[in-house]
Parts: sequence; structure tokens; C-alpha cells
Amino acid sequence: MPHRWNRRAFLQSAAVLPFAAALRGGAWLPRGNPRTLLVLELEGGNDGLNTVIPLDDARYAQLRPTLQSARRGALPLGAAPGGGGFGLHMALAKVHARVLAGSAAVLHAVGYPSPDRSHFRSRDIWHTADPRLAAVRADTTGWLGRAADRLATAGAGLPAAEIGGTELPLLLRSANAMVPSLRRAEDFALQVDDAAGAGPGRRAAIEALAAPRADQGLVGEVAHVASAAIEQAGRLRAALQRYQPRADYPDSPLGRDLQLVARMAIAGFGTRLLHTGLGGFDTHARQLPTQQALLQELDLALDALLQDLGRHDALADTLVLVHSEFGRRVLENDSQGTDHGAAAPVLLLGGGVRGGVHGKGPDLGDLLDGDVRPTTDFRSVYRDLLDWLSIDAASVLDGEFAPAGACAR
Amino acid sequence: MTDWLAPWEPTAADPFDLAKAGHLLRRAGYGASFAERQDLVRRGLDAAVAHACGDGAAGADPAERWLEPLLAFDDIARLRETRVWIALQGSRPLRDRMTAFWHHHFATSNRKLQDPRALARQFATFDRLGLGAFDDLCAAMVRDPALLRWLDNDVNLRGKPNENFAREWLELFTLGRGNYSESDVRAAARACTGYTVVRGEFAFVGGEHDRGEVELLGARGPTDGDELARRTAAHPASARLLAAKWLRWFVHQEPEPAWVGELAACYEQRGRDVGATLRVLVRSRLFFSPAARRGIVKSPSEFVLGTVRACGARAAPKQLASAIAAMGEAWGEPATVEGWRGGRAWLTPATWLLRSNFAAELFAGRLGPFAPGADALLAPATSRADRAQLALDLLLDGDCSPASRERLLAFAASPAADGPGAAGALLHAVTALPEYQLL
Repeated sequence: MPHRWNRRAFLQSAAVLPFAAALRGGAWLPRGNPRTLLVLELEGGNDGLNTVIPLDDARYAQLRPTLQSARRGALPLGAAPGGGGFGLHMALAKVHARVLAGSAAVLHAVGYPSPDRSHFRSRDIWHTADPRLAAVRADTTGWLGRAADRLATAGAGLPAAEIGGTELPLLLRSANAMVPSLRRAEDFALQVDDAAGAGPGRRAAIEALAAPRADQGLVGEVAHVASAAIEQAGRLRAALQRYQPRADYPDSPLGRDLQLVARMAIAGFGTRLLHTGLGGFDTHARQLPTQQALLQELDLALDALLQDLGRHDALADTLVLVHSEFGRRVLENDSQGTDHGAAAPVLLLGGGVRGGVHGKGPDLGDLLDGDVRPTTDFRSVYRDLLDWLSIDAASVLDGEFAPAGACAR
Repeated sequence: MTDWLAPWEPTAADPFDLAKAGHLLRRAGYGASFAERQDLVRRGLDAAVAHACGDGAAGADPAERWLEPLLAFDDIARLRETRVWIALQGSRPLRDRMTAFWHHHFATSNRKLQDPRALARQFATFDRLGLGAFDDLCAAMVRDPALLRWLDNDVNLRGKPNENFAREWLELFTLGRGNYSESDVRAAARACTGYTVVRGEFAFVGGEHDRGEVELLGARGPTDGDELARRTAAHPASARLLAAKWLRWFVHQEPEPAWVGELAACYEQRGRDVGATLRVLVRSRLFFSPAARRGIVKSPSEFVLGTVRACGARAAPKQLASAIAAMGEAWGEPATVEGWRGGRAWLTPATWLLRSNFAAELFAGRLGPFAPGADALLAPATSRADRAQLALDLLLDGDCSPASRERLLAFAASPAADGPGAAGALLHAVTALPEYQLL
């Protein structure tokens, strides 16, 4: 079926409201509800059992003859509420300090019924919030995209964005909201060849070509989108220019992505739902050094983001969810790695988080076909996040799910 | 208009001109240079249609030449780059378009497959059979290793059917929703049991094939995947599904329902020969009517490849392929099992900016080599107005609304069109006109 384009919703989301806002008071959207969510996805299936490590369970060492060495340097969570018996991977030192300080949370064994071990399908399930999803169709939407639709209706010009990717992931696919994919802020800016010596006013002259006009039909629709693009890009540029970093971001792809997240959140542009990813977690062989390096990169980049937000007085209004499409099998394989598994812990950081360790830790004596059994449904986590954002969770998730209780409202 | 599939006959008042030649080659190909378009206008409509259809194409087929190296590289980015290179050669314009069409139709993704070789071979099947009888294409696709694995038919076993392949076959590839029942899906799944892939090749594993009786689309008896392909290819619902899709692809993104039945009938009269049907369509009164003109939002590949080809320029296939992918049309990794949404879905502020920025970089020579450069392209024109007209001729067949022309002339007359990069900026300015987003 061709996607039916909803012109009315498009006009509301894309152009009319930003224009109206501009008329009301210049370049800034009113900051009604400034709360911003970042979903950070560990792509490939992070090994949850070597991220949040059982400290006292003898079965762990039996099932993981070589990978158990990660336990030696693990950072105990016993001082945090609910954290007894578990420790964080030593590469997550800064996250660990935040959990103990009450500004970050670990939520054990998050998953969904009848786990699927395909990256592809499990990622689709997390993205759509639909474990029964048969196939991704042209009109399939993602849970964050549906949330963006609710915000678009409420008037945000660009309610959501993908950061760092080249194309829009399924979770941000929406029915009506416009969701850009930004590798760099410059991608959502009009580039003009106006090097030294070029004729004056070239940028303005190119922009003028796309100024609003009154054509009918498809030409008129394109003209409308073009003028909305120029207008939105101009506002974003003005907003981003006001940002100065107040933390040292690591010089890594994730560091750059998270700095763009901070710019978007701090700029108050009205983009409130963000997604980015960190790849490489599919550790079928020689897992220890690979996971160590990735968690280290995650820890440093997250810490810079949270510091930066804090120093801009924006931490209370920003929440970060870190999750993966699945955990890995409990039994180590013959290549000092692990194969695709099921449930895994998620991390929550930033404003609105109820610090500590939540949920029931994995029971290595009660596995589900060799995997960690899910004890918290991932949609309960989404429910927490949507409640915190004041977006109607039941309509986004197509059903009522109990809150996981890891976030304040 | 009645009898709109009848051949369009140019007249003195409505001649086969630059705009018509551009229209034909942008749709039955990836566009053509100004010189090529002028040449086709001189040679006339029939010669132009024959050119688009690749009649008497000289030289070796670039698609065949590239297949072996492609299989050796086993790299999805290289597959994209190679398809871009083939399209830029433009020796078989309609064939290249239809290979892309069939990729959008039998949308198979390497994300799950992780087997670029299998996808390269699937593209080669489209090259070979894409303009032949649909029956032959279906016969090949029901045994296509990439498609079978993509839709889990390698785990569709006797007594343990997996319906994924059968369902998509009926819904997306042939009959379309509403033309089969759930019990047809189950029967089709049983028909395809044992159609699997062993070491990259199609294999029929008799022991896993369900030889029991099924009732499939109203006929009872034992059956298999080959028969499923034969019967669904010949089904009238498939004709309508394909006709509607070809109209969206070649004529208008929202075709009139009345057109669908007539094109479907034309296709059935021609023995379900795809090439013969499309030859009628791109020569038809409808195709050259005002209703069809600029009635489709360009896809990323149409935008990128069309821009380079319209300039008659050489550019780096690798950079073009990644630009197309970054705009959301990563060949080999379709967005959904239904391919890409297409049409209006390509049109958002973010995609508009990406396209505009691509054009700015391309014309400024910052996207790898772009030869001849923007300066050389506009060198023949001397006055400001002539330069604007030439830029319009190159990129828009000299045909746009009065409002667009007025703005472009104002741009060309302003100081903004002076100094270094002036020619590139003028070409960039044309791509900022709304008409340029439309095919």
C-alpha cells in the first residue's frame, strides 16, 4: 500500500506552527515541557551478564570459564538500593559512581515474551514495541516515532531526531512527524558555496529561491517543504550557535554524537526525542577486550554528556536509556565469546531516574532455554519514560503496561 | 482522455521537444545529457524510445562485465557502487530502471542476509529477466537463494511450515491483499516446503517437501513452488498489482484507477511480457500528457543519478552511491519488506536539505571529481540571462513555471552569481527550484 500522506497533519507539524511561533516572538519556541529523552542503543547484543555481573553465584564461574575473569575487577553495587550481589563491569566506573550517588539506575533482566535470537527481528521488536510484529511494512511505525507524532500534534516543529546515523531507524518512523537523521548539525543546514571572493549574499539568494510561493499541485507542495526546510534549518542554526561545551567529550564517534545530543537538548530547539547507537557488541569470539573497550567508550562519552548537561542546568530535564536488542547466552561458547541470548539489563541516567538497582536479578538456576529469563517487560520501561515525558503511554504502546518504577513522573 | 495507451503522435503544436525527451529519459532511464537530449529530439520519438529500451545497444553489457568482480568483492557497498556505475553508463536505460524496480518489488535486505554475493546474483537475475515475461521472472524468484533466505523459506519444512515466504509472495510479489485467503497462505507455504539453499545455491530437498494434497487458489492436488509461481504469475490480480505499480513508477505517483485496468489488459494481451508492455506505456498518449508531467517526487537515486547524467558529467560512483544511501535509499538494504515508500514520503525538510547540500557539493567539486566542472558546463553562455537559460536547459529541459524562471533570472542578475564558484552556484540554484524535485 502506498503511504497516504496526511496533508493536514503535515502542515501542522512542518510549517504552520513554526511560522506562527516565529510571528509570536522571534526565533525561539516557547519551552513548554523541556524534557528530553535519549535512547542509546548498544548494537549487536551487549552481554548483560558481563555488564551487571553476579558477584556471589558459583554457577556464573562454571558457565563462563574464561569470561568470569571480568568479575575480579567488578565494581560492587551493594551500597546502592537493591544492588546486593551484583557489580558493574569495571569499565563503567563513572556510571557506577552515578548509581551509588542516586542519579543513575540499573534495571535487571529486561526483555519480552518468547525471545527471538535474530538481531534483525529482536531489534525490530524493541523498535516497534511489538513482540508479535510479523514484518516491517511501509506503514509500520516505531515507538519513539509514535511518541513524536503526539508531540507533533502538540506543536513541536522537529519533535525527534536520529543522531549519528545515515538513515532513520525503525523506532523513529512516524505517521506524520518529520524526523531528520543528523550525523552532524551541518546536515540540517543549507550548504552554500560561498568561499572567499564569492558574490555577496549568495546564501540569502539561494534561500530566496525557496521562499514561500503560491503554486498549486505538487510544485506548490515541494515549494512549501523547501521553505519549511530553510526556515527550520535557520532556527536550528541560531539555536545551536548559542551552545558552548562545558565538558570534555572523548574524541570518538559516540563522543561526537553525544555532544550533538547535548547541543540539541541545551539549545531548547524543541527536539525532545533522540536516538543514537554504538555498534560492535556482537561478541561471538574473544569477547573480553572488545566489550571492555566498548563499555569504556560508553562510560566516558556518557559522563561527558551528563556533566555538560549538568553545567548547563539541563540535567534534570534529560533522561538517557541505554539498552541492547538482546543479551547473550549464559554459557560461554568455544571461542571465548557468547552467542545471541535473551533478556539483559538496561541503564537509565539523568533527570527523573530513581537511582539504584531495580527488578529481579538473573537467576542462573532458572534459565529459559539457556538464556536469562526476562523479569521486566521492555514496554514497562518505555511506560516509565513516556510517563516522565507526559506522553500518553497507552496509545504509543498500544496497551497498558505497568510502570517499571525506575523513573519519577 | 480515452484510449490513452494509444501511441502518442507528436504534432507541430505539440512536438517531441527537449522537455519530452528529458521526460522520457528521466523515467525510462536515469536521465540524459543536454547533447543526448538534443540528439534524440533530432532523431525523433521512435528512435528515442528505441534508445531508452536499449535496442541495438553497442558494446558489452556493463552489468555482465561487472558481475564476476562483484561476486569476488562480496561487499554490499561495492554492489551499490557498481549499480551506480552501470546506471551512469546509460547504455540500457530502461533495463537499469527495471532492475531497480524489481529490487524495490522483491525487496531483499542484506541486513538480515549478510550475503552480498547472493544479492548481486539476484540483481543479475533482474538484469537478465526484468524485461521478459513475468512468468519467467517468478519461476526464477521462487528459486532465488537470496529471496528464499530473506523470507525464511530455508526453515519452511514438511510438517513445520514457515509462512513468511508464502505470505509475502502472495501479498507483495503477485496477487496483492484481498485476492487470496489465509488458507491459500498455508497451502502456498506447504507448496514451498523443501525449497531451500545449500552452500549458496538453490536446492530442492525432497525429504522436506510436503507431497500432500492442498487446495491452493481454488485447485486441489499436490503442488510445489514452481507451480505456485506459474499460477500466481498468470493470475489477473497480479496483472493489476503490477500495472498499478508501473503507473506509480513511470507515470504518476497517484494514478487514476481507470488507468490500472487498461494497462493490466495491455500486459495480459502481450502474454505478460514486461518489456513489451512498458514499451507501449512509455510511448503512450498518457505518458506524454500534461497529467504525467512532473507528477512524481524523485527518489534519491533519481535525484542523484539524474543530476549527474543531465550534466553529462563524470563523477565518482562511490560518492554518489553513499549519497543515495545517506538520503535513505540504500540499495541492498530496503527500508521494509515492501521496499521503499516512494512518492511523497521522499519529500521532507530534512530530505530537501540533504538533496540541496548534495547538489552544492557536487557542483563545487567537493564530492570527488566532477568533470567537466560547472564552469565548463556553463561556458558556452556569455550573458547573465544566457547562463541562467543554459542552466535551466541542462537541468530542467528549459521548462519551468514563470515564478521559477523569474526567481532564477533574479538570482543570475544579482551579485550573488559573481565570483568564484559562480557557475556551480547557478546550477545549485536551479536545484533549489521546486520543479527540480519532480521527475
